[in-house]
Amino acid sequence: MQYNTFTFLGLFLGLTLLAYYVTPLKARWGVLLGASAVFYVLGGRQLILIVALTTAVIYLAARRMEKISATAKAQRKLLPKEERKAYKAKMSGKKRRVLAAACIFAVGLLLFLKYFNFFGSSLNTLWEKLHLSWEIPYLHLLLPLGISFYTLSAVSYLADVYWEKYPAERNYFKLLLFLIFFPVIVEGPISRYDQLGSQLFEGHKFDYYKFTSGLQLIVWGLFKKMVIADRIDGFVGVIFGSYGDYGGLAVALAILLYTIQLYTEFSGCMDIVTGCAQLFGISLAKNFEQPFFSRNVNEFWRRWHITLGAFLRDYVFYPISLSKFFQKLSKGARKHFNEYFAMTIPAAVALFAVWFCNGIWHGAEWKYICYGLYYYVIMLAGMLLEPLFKKICAAIRLNREENRGFHAFQVVRTCILVGIGMLIFRAENLRAAGKMFLSLFDKEAWRSVGFFWDVGMNPYEYLVILIGVLIVLYVGIQNERKILVRDRIASRAAAIRMTAYTVGVVAVILLGAYGPGYGAVDFIYAQF
Amino acid sequence: MEKIIEILEELKPGVDFAKEEHLIDDHILESMMMVQLVAALNDEFDIEITPRDIVPENFQSAKAINEMVERLLEDE
Repeated sequence: MQYNTFTFLGLFLGLTLLAYYVTPLKARWGVLLGASAVFYVLGGRQLILIVALTTAVIYLAARRMEKISATAKAQRKLLPKEERKAYKAKMSGKKRRVLAAACIFAVGLLLFLKYFNFFGSSLNTLWEKLHLSWEIPYLHLLLPLGISFYTLSAVSYLADVYWEKYPAERNYFKLLLFLIFFPVIVEGPISRYDQLGSQLFEGHKFDYYKFTSGLQLIVWGLFKKMVIADRIDGFVGVIFGSYGDYGGLAVALAILLYTIQLYTEFSGCMDIVTGCAQLFGISLAKNFEQPFFSRNVNEFWRRWHITLGAFLRDYVFYPISLSKFFQKLSKGARKHFNEYFAMTIPAAVALFAVWFCNGIWHGAEWKYICYGLYYYVIMLAGMLLEPLFKKICAAIRLNREENRGFHAFQVVRTCILVGIGMLIFRAENLRAAGKMFLSLFDKEAWRSVGFFWDVGMNPYEYLVILIGVLIVLYVGIQNERKILVRDRIASRAAAIRMTAYTVGVVAVILLGAYGPGYGAVDFIYAQF
Repeated sequence: MEKIIEILEELKPGVDFAKEEHLIDDHILESMMMVQLVAALNDEFDIEITPRDIVPENFQSAKAINEMVERLLEDE
């Protein structure tokens, strides 16, 4: 059940809202659990049993870790001072083993179901090249709905309980609701238990402001998804599908349009699901913050798919870079190398893990791994060359923070680098990405503009896309200035307000890409 | 506290660390710098800052960092 369909928005959501607000406050989380279970079964069928089993393992492991911590704290006080350290280390080891076992189970399941065939076929190719007659069989595996998203939420919950950031959940069904809450199960945002849990479990009274702003957000998300993203899909599909026939301007435009498509679709989906959650009085974590105004790729990833970046930072980057091993390594390196270089070693190793995970999380293909490592190379180069950049800027008296021209240059440079990343991400495979990239430098191809009318789009559609993108850009600029267009409209007289809302709804109905000639376009991130 | 400000200034010159109270929210301290800061703090105060301590509240200001360091010294 897609979030932008009438079945979801009209029937499923409508009925769930009705049931939620007629149920006594204390039991309202039960309605959310029931609805989430129905949503899951409709999309993922019997695979809900896998989620239920994973939840059981996570639930028991968290309770066990909490019990070990409590015992350790109570017993430690009774011991003589000289024995306390050894006892603490023993209990920490015990707790770490429980954490490791539960993480191996949850992540192992994800790795097996999502990546077994990818690694199998990669190894088979390797065996073949080495003239070995081994063969890893291809397995027909079913992937539980949202496994890439709920596994990360589960790992963050386990790690936080391990670090004693909050107590373990006492109620299995509440933990299950946290993991399968229907607005976040398909495409995220990747939720943290301390941010979402309590909001799900306490019943919310009907709040007119939250409810109406939720509805507005849904319409805004539908506009981005159906008026812009789905309409672009045709153009992007043709150029990327027959990339051998196009080059130059056509490819450059396809990269630009795909970037816009992915952004408007993914952020549009986030607006829809955030709006849905708001109808129940629940706030979800922000996943986008005008990423195309970023000055460098680090900043871009702080503003694009924010919850994935934050997960990788907190649960991959810090645990690796702050581990005893890398801290010691860095300390040792300081004796032999330049201090800046030595201090960079743990970050450089941890960053590799982050970007490898980021890449492979998107899919079981080499192009996704290269997509992640592409950003790794850019960031590592930036990090290692930073002392040199500093010297150059000082020599030419360039204030990187305040020079507006340099700021504009940085934004354009980031957009170009992101565009190349998008090319790797969308191309059929790495070879296709390479060919398309090289075709950008074909001078002849830049003169050809006939493709505009070859790709099955008419002038009216180009115009709709252009107007749509300009509106999204305007709203983005306002957001950058901390002006909320939604609040501005809401503060106007009733007539203006109603006109604005009606125009929004009518735009989605009239300009949305559906009807003859259009197939419903699946959400891109739902496949991850 | 003075030593902490000194470490911070060495990592990122040009910021008034005595006054700044939103080092994380305003992205003054980014993750790369955090790793370097933690290594410097561990060295200077002979403590062990672990990922469980890496929460925004502990790093928003020099004062918050100082409080965390004192807490960790007490726990030792």
